[in-house]
Amino acid sequence: MSERTQEPALHIRHLTYRYRTRETFALRDINLDIQPGELVLVAGASGCGKTTLMRTINGLIPRSYKGGELSGTIRILGQDPAPLRLAEISQMVGTVLQDPERQIVGAYVLNDVAFGLENLAVPREEMLVRIDRVLQELGIPHLRDRETFALSGGEKQKVAVAGTLVMEPDILVLDEPLANLDPASVEEALRLIRHLVDAGKTVLLIEHRVEDVLSIHPDKALFLERGEQVYFGDVPGFLEVVNPLDVKLPADVAVRRLRTMDVPPPPPRRTPDPSADPLVVMENVSFGYVPEREVLHHINLTIQPGDVIAILGPNGAGKTTLVRHLIGLEKPTRGHVWIEGKDTRELSVAQIAHTVGFVFQNPSHMLFAPTVREELAFGPRNLGFDEERIERNVERSLQIMDLTEYADSSPLALSYGQQRRVGIGAILAMESKILIMDEPTAGQDYRHYTQFMDAIVQLPFQAILFITHDLDLAVRYANRVILLSEGRIVADGPPEEVLADEERLRACRLRPTSLLRMNLAHLHRWGRFVPLEMLAQHVV
Amino acid sequence: MIVTWSYKERNTFIQRLDPRARIIFMLTAILAIIQTWDFRVLIFWFALAMTAYVLAKLTWQETRRFWMVVLPIITLLVTITALTGRGGEEAYQATHPLFTLPLWGDHVFTISAEQLVFAACQFIRMVTMATFGLLIPFTIHPAHYGVTFKGLGMSDKFAVATDLAFRLVPTVAKDFQTTLDAQRARGYELERKGAGLFQQIRNLAPLVVPVTIGTILSGEDIIDAMDLRAFGAKPKRTWIVELHYEPRDYILIAAGVLLLVATTVAKLLGYIHFWVPSWLIHG
Repeated sequence: MSERTQEPALHIRHLTYRYRTRETFALRDINLDIQPGELVLVAGASGCGKTTLMRTINGLIPRSYKGGELSGTIRILGQDPAPLRLAEISQMVGTVLQDPERQIVGAYVLNDVAFGLENLAVPREEMLVRIDRVLQELGIPHLRDRETFALSGGEKQKVAVAGTLVMEPDILVLDEPLANLDPASVEEALRLIRHLVDAGKTVLLIEHRVEDVLSIHPDKALFLERGEQVYFGDVPGFLEVVNPLDVKLPADVAVRRLRTMDVPPPPPRRTPDPSADPLVVMENVSFGYVPEREVLHHINLTIQPGDVIAILGPNGAGKTTLVRHLIGLEKPTRGHVWIEGKDTRELSVAQIAHTVGFVFQNPSHMLFAPTVREELAFGPRNLGFDEERIERNVERSLQIMDLTEYADSSPLALSYGQQRRVGIGAILAMESKILIMDEPTAGQDYRHYTQFMDAIVQLPFQAILFITHDLDLAVRYANRVILLSEGRIVADGPPEEVLADEERLRACRLRPTSLLRMNLAHLHRWGRFVPLEMLAQHVV
Repeated sequence: MIVTWSYKERNTFIQRLDPRARIIFMLTAILAIIQTWDFRVLIFWFALAMTAYVLAKLTWQETRRFWMVVLPIITLLVTITALTGRGGEEAYQATHPLFTLPLWGDHVFTISAEQLVFAACQFIRMVTMATFGLLIPFTIHPAHYGVTFKGLGMSDKFAVATDLAFRLVPTVAKDFQTTLDAQRARGYELERKGAGLFQQIRNLAPLVVPVTIGTILSGEDIIDAMDLRAFGAKPKRTWIVELHYEPRDYILIAAGVLLLVATTVAKLLGYIHFWVPSWLIHG
């Protein structure tokens, strides 16, 4: 044992990898030494090689991803993993995948957590002891007999971690564990990770949400760019190396760094037009999927042209249910939803789509056509537009969403980010007046999502509404914030008012961010929230 | 995410029975039912299936979607059989015309007593088997699937795979619903008025393509996730769930086997045969 602890937990030299089907290298010349008990943050834009690095460490490369080109050396706890089987590596390196939904195989929590131990043929009595211990450690013994698919996002995450921890690996690799959590769950997850590190585990934490991770004091940070290692070292050094436009840094660091940089100005904030006729009115709406359990209570809401609305609230607050009413996918049990003066009960979803465009979170749920062009034409054709109008709208969408060069490619062959642009473009081509998005930025890196959202707010929609867990998205883009909790609107107003009440935010499982705090401190100057770039120009 | 069939813990008599015993009984019942066209025997099996349904305390609300799919299919099959031929070559020879349906001109379609009884048998057979089948997903605890299949003699790997495959059906149904919602938001309508059959099938592409591709991709993720948790690492795996046979389970299995043997023997000896009530022929 003593000999083993002197070895680095992870030793990587000149690691290079190319996938079989790609021409460019996913990783190039990576060199790392990670000591036992260290917490290492791995950051970088989407496609920088973070996930590939994880796969080389946990053994999926080359065992599941065959035929690629792999060179360099890896030693895990002093051992060469090359001759080992995946099952053997999985007892040294535990992996929690980005989306816990894709990792959970058991129908019930107990079964899922037991899965790895069953495969290792651990006797039943010992399994039960180990599972109870891990559930206790993670603070989730009450979930033991629950169905996995009915858990909240945060709970699923913890169950996925439990299923890995119970196999007692020394090293844990976590791939974007915070992507789908509300801010309070993020805080809990980070506390848990810190606890694991303090208990002696070595943790590699791959995450876009750098600012959040810094709160649990990682020992080192690794920054990757296009498969290359740009930085590996302590955190203060990392903060000086990375571009604050690529990675979300704490506001004070970002402002200091941005001051010396030449950055383009962010798009101006939209102003609502209270005198115009409302586009949507929700009048005293209550709703339940089953009669005995109401999920929305007495919702009153008006959407005006010019509104950019952020809907915030904890998981399970009813945000998605509310939004489904706006497109007519649900009809209120009591009350009315009026779309441009017409009751949704008398309108089909297709008729409502003329006014309200709804982009689902995952583009793979909607893409089917052989080409991007046909994909974009699908909506307008359903709405009965004539061919000339369809063609005009498709061309315009291609241009605005920067998809012209992919017009004749299959949407299924595009990257995730491009697919999302097709998803928005498809709604844009329908000339809908309101754009509604469910978690538009979840799991996307900072640069991509600011570029994406900067473009979205300049699109010719009369109003935009998005659901998010990211408070900074509301600070930067919204001119109106709605807080939803337990099916009720608890606040509705300008972000400067709604987000100033920290106590109320906490009650809604939200946490003030450094950008919000800085904006609140300088509110007197502009009278409204401003983006980082503007703070950097003026705050000393 | 793999979801499960809508299962409710009710602690009914049916649920307390060992799932292996229930599956064995279901198999023996189906084997017995497919041997017979005797309406009197089929009524017995139908009554048994209904008793099990009532004992399981299943409600129409829960099973409605199942029946909404299954009943029209059964009705369609039975109607087609009845209208396209006499049905059941092996079941009966002689026919007794019962009434006629006018077709065109002087042509008429004659329905015989045998044809009518055969259709009734066919209907009741399928409904009975569907009921026995329905009881499996609705009353077996989803956490017990794997170990149940293992207990029925499958290998470890195959039992785990069958468990996952079993839950694929509700998972695909859920993805289908999400995709339908996403496409409806783009003005898509599942039923197009006045469209021909070919057009109707083409009209399914916006649903079928995303669901199929999504299922394939998530299948790959599940394989990775299983590999990362040492699936197949040892020649034999252990199971967290343990099943124990109780005396009542042995009784159930014995009853199933006995009924199967009795049906087979009775059929061989000619006691069970296609039966038409005499009042239908002579009345």
